[in-house]
Parts: sequence; structure tokens; C-alpha cells
Amino acid sequence: MVTQFGIKFAVHLITNHFGNLVAKVCENLFSHGSLTLDQLVRYSELTKDQVKNSLLVLVQHNCCQAFVSAPEDDDDDADRLRVRTQYLVLFDNIIHRLRFPKFLETVSRKLDEECVELLDGLLRDGRLTLKQMVDRASQGKENAVDTKVVREILSKLLTARLVERCPAPEPVVSTSFKETTTRKRGAKSAKIFEAPETLEQRVLEAAVPGNALRFSFTADMRSNVDGETNSDDDQITSVEENDAKEEEILWRANFEEFIRHIRHKALIENIRTQHDDGTATVLSAVLEATKTVEKKVKMENSVPLSLDTITAEVMKTDTGRTMTIDRIRASLSQLGCSQRMIVDDAYSIDLKKIIERAQNEEVESIVLKRYGRDAYRMFRLLSKDCCFHDTDQIAASTLVEKKEAPKLLYRLWKDNYLYMEKVIATGVKQTTILMWKVNKPLVWEHVLDEMYHAALNLSLRMAFEQEKDEELLNVPKDKLKEPGPLQKKYKRLLNVWLLLGSSLMKLDEALMLFHDF
Amino acid sequence: MNYPHLTALGLGMSQLQESSSLKRKRQDLALVSGSMTDGERVLYNLIHSKKDMGIWTGDMKRQTNLPDSIVKKSLKLLQSKNLIKEVVNIQNKGRKHYMAAEFEPSKEITGGDWYTQGSLDTDFINLVKDVCLKCIFRQKVATHDGVLEWSRKSGVFTVEVTAQQIDEILRALVLDDEIEEVKSTGLGDFSSVPVGRICYRCKSKGGNRGEQKPGAMASIPCGVCPRINFCTPDGIISPRTCVYYQKWLDF
Repeated sequence: MVTQFGIKFAVHLITNHFGNLVAKVCENLFSHGSLTLDQLVRYSELTKDQVKNSLLVLVQHNCCQAFVSAPEDDDDDADRLRVRTQYLVLFDNIIHRLRFPKFLETVSRKLDEECVELLDGLLRDGRLTLKQMVDRASQGKENAVDTKVVREILSKLLTARLVERCPAPEPVVSTSFKETTTRKRGAKSAKIFEAPETLEQRVLEAAVPGNALRFSFTADMRSNVDGETNSDDDQITSVEENDAKEEEILWRANFEEFIRHIRHKALIENIRTQHDDGTATVLSAVLEATKTVEKKVKMENSVPLSLDTITAEVMKTDTGRTMTIDRIRASLSQLGCSQRMIVDDAYSIDLKKIIERAQNEEVESIVLKRYGRDAYRMFRLLSKDCCFHDTDQIAASTLVEKKEAPKLLYRLWKDNYLYMEKVIATGVKQTTILMWKVNKPLVWEHVLDEMYHAALNLSLRMAFEQEKDEELLNVPKDKLKEPGPLQKKYKRLLNVWLLLGSSLMKLDEALMLFHDF
Repeated sequence: MNYPHLTALGLGMSQLQESSSLKRKRQDLALVSGSMTDGERVLYNLIHSKKDMGIWTGDMKRQTNLPDSIVKKSLKLLQSKNLIKEVVNIQNKGRKHYMAAEFEPSKEITGGDWYTQGSLDTDFINLVKDVCLKCIFRQKVATHDGVLEWSRKSGVFTVEVTAQQIDEILRALVLDDEIEEVKSTGLGDFSSVPVGRICYRCKSKGGNRGEQKPGAMASIPCGVCPRINFCTPDGIISPRTCVYYQKWLDF
């Protein structure tokens, strides 16, 4: 689900980070879908070299994925000869650029400063080999840092799955959507997967190396990232050869894992405010224990665990040590674990419900601020019931003046927050009854688009404020410390930046809530 | 007066009074109707037949075919004799609506318990809300019956508050996000409530109303902007020229 302002915001981020040329290429990829190099040159009206370099930048920063469309049976010879490499822009990865501070914070919380430094390099440069990492670490230092040290840090990040091998540069992907199932090549070829919904998902799935390889160091498994391993045959690679190969492997930050971490954190914090610390501790322990078996980020339910396992996990934590089994059981019941799970001794927590609740709260708070308390009650009634209600019924259930109700409902409808249908009732007199409903998927998409719009505005305003007070940045620091109009202006600018910056970070959490979680 | 024979027949005093007052009422009515003009009688019978629903003057004219002036005059006379009264109809406040004096307007006419004189009694609603909230806050968790009993005992209300009214208030408070509906687990705060019973719990820690924190979007100008649909990066309305931003960033 990429909305209009989502694209505008993504292009804005690319403009900010890489300039207008790259942004133009990026914009064309958004508006036309995946394109070949020649098509891009035609659409963007740039030179071939400019487009090529822009694409290289985008690929380097994981904002673009190349793929080769598989030849189809009915292709003629000319078709088979043409260049099939297409470029697909990755919206999510562009927006993730906004979250780099959050990713770094995650690493500093989970691991140590050295890891933060290494990850910082990866985020700044997009993709790095071990050798490049060593060079980076050695910069500005008298003695070069030993490869072993960097290797150690990298393997820490790999174990935590926060760093991964880069995906295959050009996977071959079938672009026809006739088949219902696709087969994955390599070791997993026997398994039949469900057909991915979009081309983007299909390309990403084809490009990602198998799990074993994705987080593994050994170059032994060949760096062609094709999911193939040369197990017993072939020549035995010498240690030197292995090392050389190892240095060629490209690494990058694993955004998926970071988003998982942030999602877990959001889930836990939501539960903490909704219930209590104990319940949050239980949820946190369950998520921590099952994070490696989670198949995707948007898990609807937590992986089932027995009460014994949960108790053991809870007791591992500092805050959980004080909890008795009874309290853990009560917390699980607060987390919505049913009688059925108690009987089966397999507790699974409805995570989707927690996310939906947080989404509801976000939208409702917008309605409250924009349309007032009466409208807020009406919206909540309709959003909870998920079915049509007529105007009078809504007014009666929400204790709103009968004459005011239609006006408020109309305003909400006009701004796309409500869905309305007219029903003609034929009785003694013919009357038109207005039926109202909250159509969640539509409202959510609309809200998300407005959020991207707001994020874009915050970012633009930040740039504007900086531009407005540009002269301040050229003033020597000592002068700014002296009291006077200059200092006042400088202080204002700092406050403005702080407010805009923190608002953008907070808004980004809401964006993730609606798009990534 | 003494009614030994009546007592002997087993008729209580109250029943006697009732029957005599009934008789008198009928007599009065007969007396009054005797002095009514034809127009008045026709109108009165029509209004009376509508019972607690009453009737609009327009409908009276249509149904009786009486001329405008007679209807007006008769209504005035009937009102002065205290036989009919004017009531406010919530469906259409501008229309003159009459009802026989002995009936109380139905819910369709008044709009329900929360309406007085045809408009929503928000002060009363807020008062009941406050009382309910206070009750739930003090008891940590409370059931519907608990709130009802507490409000009756406390004697805050001069009028009788019905179970249905409390129910409506509690539902409105849930929609206000002031309280939440929870099922009793029988543990901790719930120890006084049987397991599985629906009860209510305050959302805010202070027991005050309207304490919710705004969300990320609602706390920035764009989140509440009425002009966001007209806002573009280079348009007349843009983040550069935005007056709401100006106000927000005024340190």
C-alpha cells in the first residue's frame, strides 16, 4: 500500500540524501513501476550515464533492486534477445532511512558501542565488504584495525541477525502472474510456496539468500547467493582462498530485524500502558523467546508456548523474577489467552489485536482533536461496531443532540472518515435514512496518506527554518554565546529544530504502526 | 363521614376514594364538554385519541377539515380550560404540538430521558457522568449494578435514575474512553466481583475526565489542519507559508 503522499515523501527523502538526479530516477520508477535502463533514460530525459550512476547509488543504498524477468514460453527470438534487467524501487527501504537513528539506538541497547559504530558505517554507505569495514574502522587511527576485531564485531551483529548478506544482484523472476504457485530454487525447491501478491514481494523473495546463508560468515557456501551450496563435491578451498572470498561478501543492515525489534518494543509499551508492568514483562519474555522462529514481521499471533516455557523465560528477566505462576497466568489471561489455550497448554497472544488497538487510538485522537468530543464518541461507536447505524440511533447511543448529529456525521464523511449509504424507506411517507459506517481499510489508508503528508511537511519546514536562519550557521560560536538578538535567534532555531525533529520521530512511529507493523 | 356498610363489604378506604374521584372526573368532563362548541369537541376528541403522542396543528386541520380560525380559537379555549397542553416535539421543534392534559409525552416526542423541553440536557448528563466516574474510580472496578446502587444511596440525584439511564451513561463513558469494559478475573482489584462478570474500570490514573494524551499525528498542526487537502510543497498553502506552523513554532 503506497499512497500518493508516501511517494512524495520518499522522493523528498531521496532528494535530501542524494540530490535531484537520483530523485528524478526514483520518481520515474515510482510512477511507472519497474523499468529497464533504456526505458528509464527515455522517461527521465537524462543521459544514460546519469541514469546508470543514479541507479548504482540507489542499489548501493538498498533502495532499488534489479531483476531479470524470466523468458516466457511464447516469446519469439527478438524478445529473447532484448535486455531483461529491470529496476524496481523499494519504497519501504527508502522510508527506513528516516529510522536510522532508531536502528542505531536498538543496537546500542542490545549490543555495544563497537557494534553501533560498525552499523553506522553500514547505514551511511549502504553496503560494505569486510575489507571496507576494516578500512573504515582504521580511518583516523594510527594503526590499522585488525581484520579479526572487525570480524568479531560483525559476527556479533550477524548472530543478532541485525546484519545480513546483500541479496542477489539480479535474480531471475517470472513476471507473469498466471501461476498460483512459484517454486523456489536451490535447496528448498521441493517446497511449494504460496504465490506472493506483488511483483515487489516476488522479486525480494527471489533475491534474498536462504536463511542459513543469509546470516552466515563462511564464504565456503559460495558468494553467488543463489541458495546453492557446494557441499561435498568440488575442490576443497584453501584457507586463503576462503578468506579472499569472505572479503568479497557484501553486507548490509537487516531492516526487517530492526523493524521486528521496534514492533516488539511498541507492542510491549502498549501493553504496559493498557495493563501493567507485569503483563508487559510476560509479553516481552514471550516475544524474546520466539523472535528467531517468527517467519515475518507482521506476525498476527505469537508463536505458541507452554506455561512452563513462559515461566522459565519470564524468570530469566530482572523484572520477572518476582512473579509467581499465578500472576503470570493472570497476565496471560489479560493478554487475551483463552480457556482453550489453558487446556492445550499452548499460549499464543493475539498481537494483531494490540496493533489494531494502537491504530484505533491514533485515528480516534485525530478525530477528537479535529471534530470534538461528540464526533469522537460517534466515531468510536461506529469503529467498534463495524456495521451500519442510522443517524438517530447514533445520536441516541452517544448522547448527542439529535440535530447536531447529522452535521457532525456529515463533516466526518466529507473528510473521508466515514462511509455513508442512503436507504429509502417506503412506508406511509417515503423517507431517506442515512446509514453510517467506518470502513477501516479505506480510513486507515487515508490516515496513512495524511501522515506521509504531515511527515513531508515537517521535513520541508525543517529545511525552510534552516534556510531562513542560514546566516546563523556562519556566525562563530563565541558570538552566539553572548546575550543579544543573535543569541535569541539562535536559541529559537534550536528549539524549533528540536520540536520539529522530535515530532517527526514520533510521527514516524505512527507511520510504522500503520505501514510496517 | 362514616361508611360502616362499605367496610363490612370489604371495600377499603382507598378504593372508595378512587372510585369517587373517578366519578367526579367524569362529571367534570361532562360538565366541560357540555359547554364546548362543536369545533372544540371535535378537536378535543381528536387530540385525546392521540394519547401520549399528541398531534400537530397541521394534521388537526387536515383531519377535521375545520377552518383555520376555528381551530386556533378552539385550541386557545381548550387550553384555558386545562384540557389540553402544548408540548415540544423533538422531531420538529418549530411545529405546534398539542396533547390532552392527562397524558405525559411519550419518548418519541420528548426524545427520551435525557431531553427536557425538547433539548438535550447536557448539564444533567455531565452530572450523571461525573457521579458514575467518581464511583468507578473509588471502587477501582465496578459493575453496572454497583454503580446504580451507589448512585441511589449517595443521594446526589433529586430525581430517580433508572437502570437504563445508568446503562446509557456507562456506554457513553466507554465511548468517551474514560472507562473501559473488562471481564473480571477474580484477582486483585476484581476480588469482590465474580469471575467473568462485566465490570468497568477508569482509564485515567487521576479519575479526572478528558485526560487522554494526543497521538503523534494529533499533536502536530497538520494532524488537525482543516486545509491539509489544499496544502502542497509549492502551493499558496504550503509548510513554508503555513499560519498554523507559524503559531506552533513561535518561541
